[in-house]
Parts: sequence; C-alpha cells; structure tokens
Amino acid sequence: MEEDKENKFGADVEVTDWGPLKITGDFRIKDLKRDTEDSPAEILLCLCGKSGIKPLCDESCKK
Amino acid sequence: MEREDKKYSSERKYRNKDITVYWKPSACVHASYCYRELIEVFDPGRRPWVDMSGSTTSRIIEVVNMCPTEALSWKWNDDEKNKNIEIDQLNHVKFRRPELMNINESDQEENTVSVKILANGPIIIRGNFTFSYQGIKKEIYGGLISICRCGASDHMPFCDGRHRKIDFID
Repeated sequence: MEEDKENKFGADVEVTDWGPLKITGDFRIKDLKRDTEDSPAEILLCLCGKSGIKPLCDESCKK
Repeated sequence: MEREDKKYSSERKYRNKDITVYWKPSACVHASYCYRELIEVFDPGRRPWVDMSGSTTSRIIEVVNMCPTEALSWKWNDDEKNKNIEIDQLNHVKFRRPELMNINESDQEENTVSVKILANGPIIIRGNFTFSYQGIKKEIYGGLISICRCGASDHMPFCDGRHRKIDFID
C-alpha cells in the first residue's frame, strides 16, 4: 500500500512552521527569472521575501 | 483546498463582437500569464481590468487559453459556433486540458511534479503531490497551486497578487 501511495504522489510540499517551503521527492524546479532548471531531492524555498539568496531560503526568516 | 470551496462564486463577463470572456476571481492563482502576454487587454491595475477592445479576438482567445486554471475562459457569442468549436480551442466551459497546458514543456515524465518560480512572483506547483500547511496534509491530484513568495499575501500561504502592489523584486 505504501508503495502505491508513493507512486501516486510525486512530491511532498510543506509550508514549514518556521518559514520556508520544503519540497521533497520527484520534482523539477524551473526558475524563470534566473533561467535555471534543476531536480534536487530536496529544496527549501523562501516565502518571507527577505532571503538574500532567492529563491532559496537563507534563514533570514528566523532573524 | 479552500479555493475549491469558492469555485462557484460570482463570475464576471466581458464581451466584444465575437466572444465573451468569463472571469472567476476565486479560481485565479495569479499565475499571471494573461497580463504578461497581453497587458493591453488584461491589466490588473485598471478597472475594469479586462478591456476587450485592446486586441484582436484571436489573440484574446490565445491568451485566455494559457490560463492554467478555470479563472479565465471564453465562448463565442454565436452559440452555433460553440457547437463546432475545434478541440484545440477548447479551454472554455468546464473542461480543463492539462495536456494542452503542457504542450510546450519538456517535463512530461509522468509523476514529476513541476515547480516554477515566476520572476518577481509566486511559486507555481503542478502535478500530483501532497501539500502540508499548519499540520494539515492534503493530497492533491492533478492540481495546481500558487504559493506566495513576497510575504505580503492576505491569503497565506497562497498568492493573492499582492507582490505586484508591493513591487516585490526577487
């Protein structure tokens, strides 16, 4: 059963309690501004607008 | 999703001599294809925000068909023509066509979730994925969500278009 479930949903997307958006699993990320494309296993994306390394989180939200 | 509940709320209409464009605000995820492509017609800063005199019917149809949600749709004013509509023109009424949305995209692997970071805008996530927010996990199948990236949305964690008002630059 567990396996079926994993096949059904490619990725898990979570708005973390502490700030960024965490995406894990099978996904492809395209950054249209910087024109980059990647398929990492996990990524933390800035949601607060304050990160210095957007679109990634640099934990500015914690400060 | 919360947005789903509002799906049937009010719809606005804009006409030119050939077609009527339908706008469902509650279904909009601010993917912003419409105004990036055709600001002459779709200008969020203007009231009313749709000006059907701003372009040709064929161009308006083309851009309405880019809308990734049911927020924008269109129909011929002449109902006879709606019966004979070509399948590739069909975005309107209740049919969603993910296969046409993906037509220019290379990421066709069946289960790979598409995550797009729009320039100075939201994160658009599409596909089959689970979505967790405040401890609640939802399973989204063949769905599309738009996540706020500027921190200013009144509809967190979803984009409500405010990044434009605060001039969010990423």
